[in-house]
Amino acid sequence: MNAIPRAVSVAMLLASAGLYGCAAHPGSEATLQSASADFQKVKEDTNVLRSAPKDVIRAGELLARAERLSSYIGSADDVSHYAYLSSRYSAIATEHSKLLLNQEKLARLELERQRLQLALREAKLSGAQQQGKWAEDQVISLSTLQTERGLVMTLGDMLFDTGHAELKSSANRTVLKVVQFLQFNPKRVVRIEGYTDSTGDAQENLQLSRDRAQAVADVLADLGIEDERIQVEGYGDQYPVDVNTSERGRAQNRRVEIVFSDEKGHLSAPR
Amino acid sequence: MSFLLKIRPLIAAVATASLFGCANDPAPVEQLKLTEQAVTQAGAVGATDDEPDLAKAQAKLTRARADMADKAYKDARMQAEQAELDARLAEARVLTQKSDEQVAQVNARLERLRKQLGASQ
Repeated sequence: MNAIPRAVSVAMLLASAGLYGCAAHPGSEATLQSASADFQKVKEDTNVLRSAPKDVIRAGELLARAERLSSYIGSADDVSHYAYLSSRYSAIATEHSKLLLNQEKLARLELERQRLQLALREAKLSGAQQQGKWAEDQVISLSTLQTERGLVMTLGDMLFDTGHAELKSSANRTVLKVVQFLQFNPKRVVRIEGYTDSTGDAQENLQLSRDRAQAVADVLADLGIEDERIQVEGYGDQYPVDVNTSERGRAQNRRVEIVFSDEKGHLSAPR
Repeated sequence: MSFLLKIRPLIAAVATASLFGCANDPAPVEQLKLTEQAVTQAGAVGATDDEPDLAKAQAKLTRARADMADKAYKDARMQAEQAELDARLAEARVLTQKSDEQVAQVNARLERLRKQLGASQ
């Protein structure tokens, strides 16, 4: 009489241990379904299959395992676990495929960039040739000086429109020379420094000097000089080379200087 | 009494099942090493704690280590297995994000080149 209920209660206890002891998860069915949906998606995506076949296979194996386990009582935890792992592999496969697609795209874009660079160089060269001798004298307010900062080339004010940062096409020849020099001296790096006169707002001058220096840097980069070789600084109206009280002096102060490193790539510290 | 005899196999079966459910798994030493490597690797490519999957991986790795200490080897293995894939997903996400940025950068540069070409023609 006593033994029977005790036996039943022991059985119940053990049964519930079997079901709950290793924690039954009411969500295991949902996890399994979403893992199955994830797998379906990657399996049908040819890009994913192509770029991450191993991850897709792992996702499939783990899903099959979760499905097999789901027919056993008390395995909810394992079902959830393997379904979760399967979903993760599907997600990893998707990421890998996105990465591969991006890499392929980058290779195409790189070819396009080289093509455009070449075209731009040719356009600038022919432009510079048409301007001929006259332009050469005009443009070369450019002077290269050996200073304590290293080799410094000054691009004069007339290469920019007043208040604007874009280089005028009359700067083509100068810029091409710099590019050529840097290509013949592949270890050299440059720092491009912008300066203004003291007219107007100091903050705006600082910005303009930076923008002009950046514009020169952009053109060099567009013509094929690696970004890593180009530093950019803007100094506003600091470090004038002439007085700011005369028109002539102010014009001298509005300038972009290109500071070249030595042949080994050592560049003087910024000011 | 006869009832008890009748259900004895059932008791045995349930007892066995519950034993197997939480059976003594071997200590998942190798898996823990793998997981630690995956978490380190995700950090090395630049995943930060802001990356939710890396945060998950680290939390699970911590739990796995605690389970190891408690000799709850099955729990430790499951936590470590999940943490490994969380970390690998975090790594993959960061790499994809970086390549997205690279594509945007090159596109901007191409745009600038085309503009310059248009201006110089």
